[in-house]
Amino acid sequence: MELLTYTFVQYAFLGGIGMALLAGILGPFVVASRQSIASDMFAHVALAGIGGALLLGVSPWWGALPTLLLVSTLLWWLMDSDSYSPDALAMFFLSGGLALALAFVHVARDSTFAFENYLFGSILTLTTTDLIAILVSTLCVVATVWYLWYPLLGATQSPRFLVPFRRTPQLVLLLYFWILAIVVWVGIKTIGGLLIGALLVIPVLAVRTWVFSFKALVFASTTVSVASVATGLGAALYIDLPPSSLIIGCLILIFVLQAIVKHIYAK
Amino acid sequence: MANPVITVTNVTKAVDTRQLLVDVSFSIEEQSLVSLIGPNGAGKSTLIKIILGLDTSYEGKVTIRPHERVQYIPQLSVTDHYQLPLSVHEYLAIGTTPLYSNRTARTANLTRSLEHVGISKEKLRQTYTSLSGGERQRIAIARALLGDPTVLILDEPLAAVDYTSRTGLYELIRHLQQVHHMTVLLVSHDIESVLPLSDRILCLNQTLHTDCHPSAFDPARTQPAIHHHC
Repeated sequence: MELLTYTFVQYAFLGGIGMALLAGILGPFVVASRQSIASDMFAHVALAGIGGALLLGVSPWWGALPTLLLVSTLLWWLMDSDSYSPDALAMFFLSGGLALALAFVHVARDSTFAFENYLFGSILTLTTTDLIAILVSTLCVVATVWYLWYPLLGATQSPRFLVPFRRTPQLVLLLYFWILAIVVWVGIKTIGGLLIGALLVIPVLAVRTWVFSFKALVFASTTVSVASVATGLGAALYIDLPPSSLIIGCLILIFVLQAIVKHIYAK
Repeated sequence: MANPVITVTNVTKAVDTRQLLVDVSFSIEEQSLVSLIGPNGAGKSTLIKIILGLDTSYEGKVTIRPHERVQYIPQLSVTDHYQLPLSVHEYLAIGTTPLYSNRTARTANLTRSLEHVGISKEKLRQTYTSLSGGERQRIAIARALLGDPTVLILDEPLAAVDYTSRTGLYELIRHLQQVHHMTVLLVSHDIESVLPLSDRILCLNQTLHTDCHPSAFDPARTQPAIHHHC
């Protein structure tokens, strides 16, 4: 308990809960739109932004944000053309982002830079500025999803689900990609770019068969997400393992337990 | 025909060297129920996309009378086992209003639209995927009614519906046209089912083969012409 009095631990919990809220709320939309791999793609694209920022001598994390917003817009535009399949586009940006990141970091020749902090997160090193950025992002995303709940639901269930006369929900879909980009941006600082997809997807998989509406799905996945982050972070204070690994471990444990209960219940 | 609701004039569409539509012309008058029939691959869906403004790469002209409110009811897809749970309430309200808007008024609207299609309001809390094909089709129509349409375009409304539900659905479509004074364009490949329902039959297979009143429709004469092109 004494560990909780340390500022860096308090920041880790606050930032982690913010991330869990974001992932829990947006996860069902990500799974519904069959864009689970997009979160991984955005994470790799963020690495290119981080590399570019390193080259320009600005804060790597902040450098990732404009890159993510730019690529999310580009992805939306390419998907709207219906010429490319979403998984092929995701792979295109994923590998392209990683290649650019490696090139930028190589050219920057910064011996103190550690890629692992962004690949696997560095939640125990959050600064006050990082925390404010995470909390502001969380508030913005929650407010946007709350306000545009039904339009987002329509746009992500199927982009042309409604097809009202000469009005497609494409602008809502663009907003959704920007929100996803922001969630990944927060994620690379907290849980890490390579693990953000797990926090978005596993809670949804764990609760989807237990609920009867999308709203209930969002509440349930957010609960699982927050519980996993809080438990994983708490465990990291006593177990010598990375917080990200423990958080994902909690998620997988919840998924397995619910599958066992469901199996018994079905019998 | 005085001031038709929808006018299609010399519409031709080709993709690469394949002709999808060839010089198709017709018009649909107000408060009529017109059935567009033809075999698979006849160009029915292509023509509907053009009318809806979703496909703009074609030759010819399509005009919709100003101030008409068009609602499109797409063909029901087969059950998707990966579909996340969606309540009937959410299905109806999807893509329409912000969450913060008056909840009571929205629920009243949804309930009223369900009543129009003969579904009880108790279904609002059920999961959409737990419903039968007939109920899903009625709920798709209820959602379209929320847009207060003057024109309804239905794409194969009976494709995923069991035989016993079909008659009821046809009666509903006819009721909407007659009582709610809507113009209805019904797309189907099931000639026998739409004949007694329609005011006019348009028979399409790349080009328009027949445009007539159902009583004048001769399947024996038309069907070989349709199938010859398949």
